[in-house]
Amino acid sequence: MSKINTLEDLNKAAKRGLESIIPSKTKVMVGMATSGIASGAQEVYNALAEEIKKRKLDIILSKTGAMGMDCIEPLVDVLQPNKPRLAYSKVTAKKVPEIIDQIVKGAVNGNKPAYRMDEEEFICLNENKPYLKGPVPKDLEGIPKIGDVSFYKKQMKLATRNCGMINYESIDEYIAKGGYFSLLKALTKMQPDEIIDEVIASGLRGRGGGGFQAGIKWQTCRRAHGDIKYVICNGDEGDPGAYMDRSVMEGDPHSVIEGMIIGAYAIGSSQGFIYVRNEYPLAVANLQRALDQAREYGLLGKNILNTGFDFDLKIGKGAGAFVCGESTALMTSLEGKAGEPRAKYIHTVEHGLWDRPSNLNNVETWANVPAIISRGAKWFSSIGCKNNSGTKVFCLVGKINNIGMVEVPMGIPLKEIIYEIGGGIPGGKKYKAVQTGGPSGGCLPDSLIDISVDFDSLWDAGSMMGSGGMIVMDETTCMVDIARYFIDFLEFESCGKCVPCREGVYRMNEILNDICDGKGKAGDVELLESMSQGIVDGALCALGSTAANPVLSTLKYFRDEYVAHVRDKKCPAGVCKALIRFSVSDEKCTGCGVCLKKCPTECISGEKKKTHVIDQTKCIKCGVCKESCKFDAIIVE
Amino acid sequence: MTMVNITMNGQKISAPAGSNILQAAKQVGIDIPTLCDHPALVSIGACRICVVEVTGQRTLITACTFPITEGMEIQTESPQVVKARKLILDLLFSERNHYCPMCQMSGDCELQNLGYRYGIDHWIYPTYTKGFPVDASRKYFFMDHNRCVLCGRCERACGDLVANHTLGLRNRGASSMIHADANVPFGESTCISCGSCLQVCPTGALCDKRSAYMGRNIQTEHIKSTCNQCSIGCGMEIVTRGGNVLRIESDWDAEINAGLLCKNGRFDPLYEDRTRVTQPMIRIGGKLRPSSWDETLKTIAEKISGTNAKEIGVLTSSNSTNEALYLLGQLFCKELKATNVGLLNSAAPKLFDKPQGSLADIVKSDVILVAGTDPAKDQPVASFFVKHAVDRGAKLILVGGKDNGLAPFATMILADIGKAVEVAERAGSPVVLYGAGITEKGASALKKLQGKAAFVAIEPGVNTRAAVAFGFNNGFKASAAKVLYALLGEQGLESADVLKDVDKKAFVVVQASYVSPITEKADVVLPMAIWSERAGSLTNTEGRVQKVSKAVEPAGEAKSDWEIISLLANKLGKKLATSLDEISARATQELK
Ligand SMILES: Cc1cc2nc3c(=O)[nH]c(=O)nc-3n(C[C@H](O)[C@H](O)[C@H](O)COP(=O)(O)O)c2cc1C
Ligand code: SF4
Ligand code: SF4
Ligand code: SF4
Ligand code: SF4
Ligand code: SF4
Ligand code: SF4
Ligand code: FES
Repeated sequence: MSKINTLEDLNKAAKRGLESIIPSKTKVMVGMATSGIASGAQEVYNALAEEIKKRKLDIILSKTGAMGMDCIEPLVDVLQPNKPRLAYSKVTAKKVPEIIDQIVKGAVNGNKPAYRMDEEEFICLNENKPYLKGPVPKDLEGIPKIGDVSFYKKQMKLATRNCGMINYESIDEYIAKGGYFSLLKALTKMQPDEIIDEVIASGLRGRGGGGFQAGIKWQTCRRAHGDIKYVICNGDEGDPGAYMDRSVMEGDPHSVIEGMIIGAYAIGSSQGFIYVRNEYPLAVANLQRALDQAREYGLLGKNILNTGFDFDLKIGKGAGAFVCGESTALMTSLEGKAGEPRAKYIHTVEHGLWDRPSNLNNVETWANVPAIISRGAKWFSSIGCKNNSGTKVFCLVGKINNIGMVEVPMGIPLKEIIYEIGGGIPGGKKYKAVQTGGPSGGCLPDSLIDISVDFDSLWDAGSMMGSGGMIVMDETTCMVDIARYFIDFLEFESCGKCVPCREGVYRMNEILNDICDGKGKAGDVELLESMSQGIVDGALCALGSTAANPVLSTLKYFRDEYVAHVRDKKCPAGVCKALIRFSVSDEKCTGCGVCLKKCPTECISGEKKKTHVIDQTKCIKCGVCKESCKFDAIIVE
Repeated sequence: MTMVNITMNGQKISAPAGSNILQAAKQVGIDIPTLCDHPALVSIGACRICVVEVTGQRTLITACTFPITEGMEIQTESPQVVKARKLILDLLFSERNHYCPMCQMSGDCELQNLGYRYGIDHWIYPTYTKGFPVDASRKYFFMDHNRCVLCGRCERACGDLVANHTLGLRNRGASSMIHADANVPFGESTCISCGSCLQVCPTGALCDKRSAYMGRNIQTEHIKSTCNQCSIGCGMEIVTRGGNVLRIESDWDAEINAGLLCKNGRFDPLYEDRTRVTQPMIRIGGKLRPSSWDETLKTIAEKISGTNAKEIGVLTSSNSTNEALYLLGQLFCKELKATNVGLLNSAAPKLFDKPQGSLADIVKSDVILVAGTDPAKDQPVASFFVKHAVDRGAKLILVGGKDNGLAPFATMILADIGKAVEVAERAGSPVVLYGAGITEKGASALKKLQGKAAFVAIEPGVNTRAAVAFGFNNGFKASAAKVLYALLGEQGLESADVLKDVDKKAFVVVQASYVSPITEKADVVLPMAIWSERAGSLTNTEGRVQKVSKAVEPAGEAKSDWEIISLLANKLGKKLATSLDEISARATQELK
């Protein structure tokens, strides 16, 4: 491939890319991000390749990233000339021949696609390109449009704009979507300060947790003294259950790279690093391929786009510890030392990696940059709510119907995420709370279901945005147990350098364990509260200083559950084994004997058609009887 | 110096720009507690005990890491601060076993002091039931993990000061543990027992075996002195109680070593097990018999008076003070005109007339050429400087073999000194460390670097430089001596080999601190004070004259090295200076 030097060159690449995005022959795309592969996309891909070969079909088979709806993966998209793009959900290798049949016959029957797309959004170009001219064929009208699927309806994809849409192996497809045009614009039409002003005006806040104004950080770094400056991307993503950064790095690596080159130019840096956690091999592979491609095109390295600007990027692999995502620990880790936070009263923008000015931003933050440069600060700041412009990607997990990655405009009411996008709580159970902000975030109760989801509202409510974890809980969740779960995670991840976190979080965990085990003492709750303040005040890094959040927020909204555990020795949600007791309801038991057969310790006895009895001395509180009883006769208290 | 104005506890103060809050507080006598911080170590802000409240800051701030800025308002003991400190102390006291009455450091422990200061009088959290190991595999001090607060001072001392990098932290969170190398017992690790970690440990986790339970710091006296185990001349403090030396600590203010000592200087002198000579003795009827000082000196004086100057031999150890060497030279060479005088060890060749560098140049260099000396073994603190420089990226060019103690740190080990000089010639700021082991050819090769490199002679022995200056480096001929005066001092000689060429009928006088094969053969033995019992001065390898102090009384009738010679001169009727101050002044004058 020859180097891209001019707008013309870029347009040529875009043309090639568009021809492969909307080709003149049939294309089949498999969602092959880690989430897809985990649900079997590789087998599906292989089966497709084999079937196409066997039938000698002229079909393009390509890989794409994740659209976000994990619960319906593996996802196979079929795009035939002048037809809507059809998405087949939960595809297995077995279903492949049938899908190929449908392609060949040009008719949909039996295996119905989950949704269809009539056009494709090109965010950076501010236009939608139709897949077909004219009306949607009759037989496809019944398939819901993606915009009508409740999961997608309220979403807005900026940072994940290309994920699941383009082939992540193709730089041309990225360019066709408007990629690298922002870079060209930045390098040829804008001064570094103008770029910074644009980012400041856009109001883009760091998506890695702190919500610090990205433009301001860039500016401070630009103004810091030093010839050598670094830009760094934080792809450590250690929050359990969170994978939005992974999805972007896997599904649209160039968006991060382009954002970083623009940032480097604005800041005055010639070297950058992408720090990716070791557990993300596909992200590393896709980023590496993308870096090579960008270098080949002259978009990275010496004399970028023939403008004289030099910048290169290296991938650094994370050591695996959660705390390595913290800015100073990340930098020490990049230096090749043990990733341990430093007391950072001298900011990393001035003294960071190898003591040089360093600008660290999160994956999602960087991915937003090209869109801001191409569409402008005004456009970006019109999305979202006051002081919180743009969108935020969340990973919606827990007791919710639609599990997956969602991108929503900031300020969206929580209710819409839970009940519309998420499709509500499964099994007709009652919604209880949502936990946001990762392990050191907080829990928000039902009463805050209308809260606006943005940095400031979440913080004020005692939780935080964090990097975008969102765990939904229903009535069967014990909030003390939840606090214990997160504190346990944080205790395990504490690096141990400072006393309040190392020992304070350890002690909190001990007390919470006691409470859940029925050994809670009067005064424990107050002790937890007073410790929390000292830990918040005293910890060295944000892992420690936010570690008390799970306890503080559950205490704030669910104090009665703590009291029940400590004083009444009861777990209202029926979770903490030491505090619950299984018995059989005299009224409801029909004496069917199902529980008796299922109980693993054989501690249920009773004659047919008579109320059964549980031998409390032998019961291990596994809950099997409750699950198996059709008459809801097992009482948990 | 630009000053910054701040307010601390309502008091307006100004402190030099660049100070942190802790330093600014210290200046005006405001005591902010610390635990992980140590003036000689890099601040890491780990323990959080030094937190203070700074107006406008979201959370509390650690004073040891936070720089002051104009107009800053600081509260060092506000309720919020005290609460956070108490939490930390409550947590630390229950983290491991801090049952003070049983602890060696009780009374001298920084954690315990903080416990008193903040009224920690009961345990809030269950105390640790799990026992931690005690590692006593090192000879001189032990590590009791039960008392460790994980402040990391030891790790920083070992890594940043000694450049030995033995210590590290293993595991994370509450299971963190200090460990050596790949978690081996300390005694089997790369630890060189310099004791720097021991000296910085704030608690009873690292304890000196010899002085444990021997008294709290307030019951002891700290006497500043100079180590006389090698020619580096490290500053140290002799810690005594009731007339006994308890231990040796390093002197943080010492210019040369700034708080470092090596095993040879810190521990070995206290583990001396040779028998002391405590009385003057004269051989009568083939047997050494106790005698009085007066009688003994008279016997020697008579013998010397009746001997031709050519037949008088003088041999001295370099472990003698400037004063003793000066008097020895004055008495024997000047007054008695003896010429057959010598030194028990060799000396580094003299390359230049004027000094061409100092030990302080080592850490600043980019290439270090080491030839004819093995400082890691013989002058360890100098080797710390070398390793320090290597840590900072300097190249170490070693002339010699793999058996040199610095070999593991060397960039190149060369047999040919000429090649080494070529490498050094290309450096920006090379430094040459050379010792007695270089040949004449080697010496002239090194001279090519004159003007380019800093040169530091690493003298073997202790006060070799002064001995040479006072003339004790001529070819001594044992066979020519009819009367031999040997100032052996503390020097240990395995055999009486030095006497093997001495005439069987010669009269041998030995001035020594310890019984040895040589004292056993002598005709007269004079009991001499050891390092801790004598005052005077030493000249280090760079030519610095430094004081040694008398910390305890000499054993038995032993006397200082110089005092014995002064008394002998008297008996011989020679008018030499007699007060220490006068002798010192004259010796120093001559050494210039
Ligand atoms: C314990 C801890 C873990 C963190 N992990 C991450 C992470 O995995 N990814 C991330 O982007 N930021 C993480 N952060 C936040 C970073 O320190 C930093 O604020 C962020 O990367 C800055 O980028 P942004 O301004 O674009 O958000 C973590 C912070 C802490 C205290
Ligand atoms: S707060 Fe926790 S993770 Fe952060 S430095 Fe302290 S011990 Fe380590
Ligand atoms: S909870 Fe489990 S052990 Fe207990 S009675 Fe039910 S099935 Fe048996
Ligand atoms: S280390 Fe200090 S606090 Fe701990 S037992 Fe010893 S004296 Fe007490
Ligand atoms: S004695 Fe010296 S070498 Fe050994 S661990 Fe301590 S500081 Fe390191
Ligand atoms: S051994 Fe002493 S110096 Fe080292 S971490 Fe423990 S308490 Fe601190
Ligand atoms: S280096 Fe020499 S002077 Fe310094 S402590 Fe060791 S033996 Fe003593
Ligand atoms: S003394 Fe400042 S944090 Fe330990």
